[in-house]
Amino acid sequence: MKFETGKRGLLINILSLIVFTLVWQILVILARNDIFNIPFIRLRDIPTPVETWYALVGSMFTRIYGPSFTYGIINHVYASLVRVIEGGIIAFIIGVPVGIGVGYSKFLGNLFNPIIEIIRNMPPMAWIPLSIFIFVSGGSIFIVFIGVVFPIILNTIQGVRSTDTRLIDAAKTLGASESMIVKKVVIPSALPSIMTGLRIGLGVGWMAIVAAEMVIKSPVGLGYFIWNMGDLGRYSEMVAGMIVIGVIGYIMNISILLLQRRFINWVD
Amino acid sequence: MGRLVLSSVSKKFNNFQALLDVNFEVEDGEFVCLLGPSGCGKTTVLRLVAGLVAPDDGIISLDGKKINGVNKECGFVFQEYALFPWRTVKENIEFGPQVKGMTKTECESISKHYIDLVGLSGFENHYPNELSGGMKQRVGIARAYANNPKLLLMDEPFGALDAQTRNLMQGELLRIWETEHISVLFVTHSVDEAVYLGDRVVVMSARPGKVKDIFDVKLTRPRIRTGPEANIIRDSVLKSLSTQIKLASHEYI
Repeated sequence: MKFETGKRGLLINILSLIVFTLVWQILVILARNDIFNIPFIRLRDIPTPVETWYALVGSMFTRIYGPSFTYGIINHVYASLVRVIEGGIIAFIIGVPVGIGVGYSKFLGNLFNPIIEIIRNMPPMAWIPLSIFIFVSGGSIFIVFIGVVFPIILNTIQGVRSTDTRLIDAAKTLGASESMIVKKVVIPSALPSIMTGLRIGLGVGWMAIVAAEMVIKSPVGLGYFIWNMGDLGRYSEMVAGMIVIGVIGYIMNISILLLQRRFINWVD
Repeated sequence: MGRLVLSSVSKKFNNFQALLDVNFEVEDGEFVCLLGPSGCGKTTVLRLVAGLVAPDDGIISLDGKKINGVNKECGFVFQEYALFPWRTVKENIEFGPQVKGMTKTECESISKHYIDLVGLSGFENHYPNELSGGMKQRVGIARAYANNPKLLLMDEPFGALDAQTRNLMQGELLRIWETEHISVLFVTHSVDEAVYLGDRVVVMSARPGKVKDIFDVKLTRPRIRTGPEANIIRDSVLKSLSTQIKLASHEYI
C-alpha cells in the first residue's frame, strides 16, 4: 500500500475526518426533521457529533452528585489501560519464550503446536464465562492475556523460523555455540516480528478488555462505562466512550510503530 | 600453519551426487582458487571444509587434524555478505571474539585493528544497510579475520559487486592477505578472477563434482591482468573449463 506522505497526506487525513463528522451530523439532523431516513435504522436516536463532544467534555472527570458520584472517562481509560498493560506484560513474558522454543526446536514445535492451534482459535470473549468463576479477581486481565499472547507467540515463531540460515552458518563458523546462536542471532533477527506480534496483540487485547469489562462487572473500565451509559439511556456519553476507545487504540498502535522504528533501525 | 588436505571426499544429497572423489590440497599460506561451472559443488566443498556439513566419504584435515563438526579454525566469507544487520560494523567484527569470551577491551583492540586493515575507519558505528556492497564485504573479510583463522574460505565473495568494485576488492583482498598471511580457498566462477588471485587454480567438473585440472599460476604479484603470461594461463584454464560447461549444459538440453 502506498500512502500520501508529508503535508498533503496530513491535509487529506484531516479533511476525511471533517467530512465524516459532517456527514454524521447532517444525517442525524435530516432524520430528526423527518426529511430523510435510512430504512430500519433509528438515525434520529443517534447523538450528533456536537452532542457527543459535549458529553465527552462533561463526563471527562469524576462528578459528585450529593452522596453518589460517577467516575470520569479519564478514570475509566486509566483502569482499562492498566488492565491491558498488565495482561500484555504477562503475555509478553510467557509468549516470547514459548514462541522462541516452538519456533526453534522441532521437538517443542511438535509438542506444543496442536495445543496452540486449538486454543488460539478460541476468541478471548469465549473465555469470559470461564474466567468469571475461576478467577477471584483479575478475570479481565486474563481475557487481555488470551488476546495478546497468541499474536505474540505466532509472530515470534514466524520470526524465529525466518532467521536467515546464512547468518546461523556465519555464527557457527565464528565459533558460536547453540545457545549463543539463539541469543545472538535468532532472537535479534526475530525482534521485528516479536514487536509486530506485540502491536497486533495489544490491539486485540484492547478490544478484548472492552468486551470483558461489559460482562465482568467492575465499577471502572471503558467497557463498563459504555454498557452502563447505554443502560441509563445516556447515548451521547456511550458514543463518546466508543470514540475514546478507537482513538486510544489508534494511539497505542502508532506509539509501538514509532518505538519499533526508533529502536529497530537496522531493518532494510 | 594452515595446510588443508581433501582426500577422496564424496558427498551425496539425497540421490544427487554433489562431489565424487575430490582430492586437492591447500598448502600453508597458499591462495587457491576453486573454479567450475555452476552446480559443480564448489560451495559444497567450502561447507565441508568449514564443517557445516559432513562428507559421506573421505577425509578433510587441517594441519593434520581431521575436521569433525564445525571447524572453528576457518574464517568464512559469504557471497551475500551474511552480516548481522542489527550489529554495527564494529559489532559484526567483534562477534567472533565475543563468543570466544574475550573481554571488551580485547574485542575493541581486535576490531580496531581489522577496521583499519580493511579500510573502514570512520564507519565503525554504521549498520550494514548503510554500506555499499564493497564495504559490506570488507566487513565480511574483517569479521572472518578477527577470529584469527588458519584458513580463509571465500564463497564467491565479490560475485554480487559491479565489475569495477570487483577489481578494486580483488586488489584489496591481496593487500590484506599479504599483510596477514593465511591460507585462502577462494571459490569463483570467473576465470579472470581465479588467474588474477590464485597461486593455483583448481578446475572442477560438474555432475558429479570432481577435480578436473589443477593449474599453477607462477606469476609475481602485483599481476598484470592482461599480461601475456596471464593470458596463456587464462587460455588453458578456459579450455579446461569450456569442455566442462558444454558437458554440464548438455545435460539440461
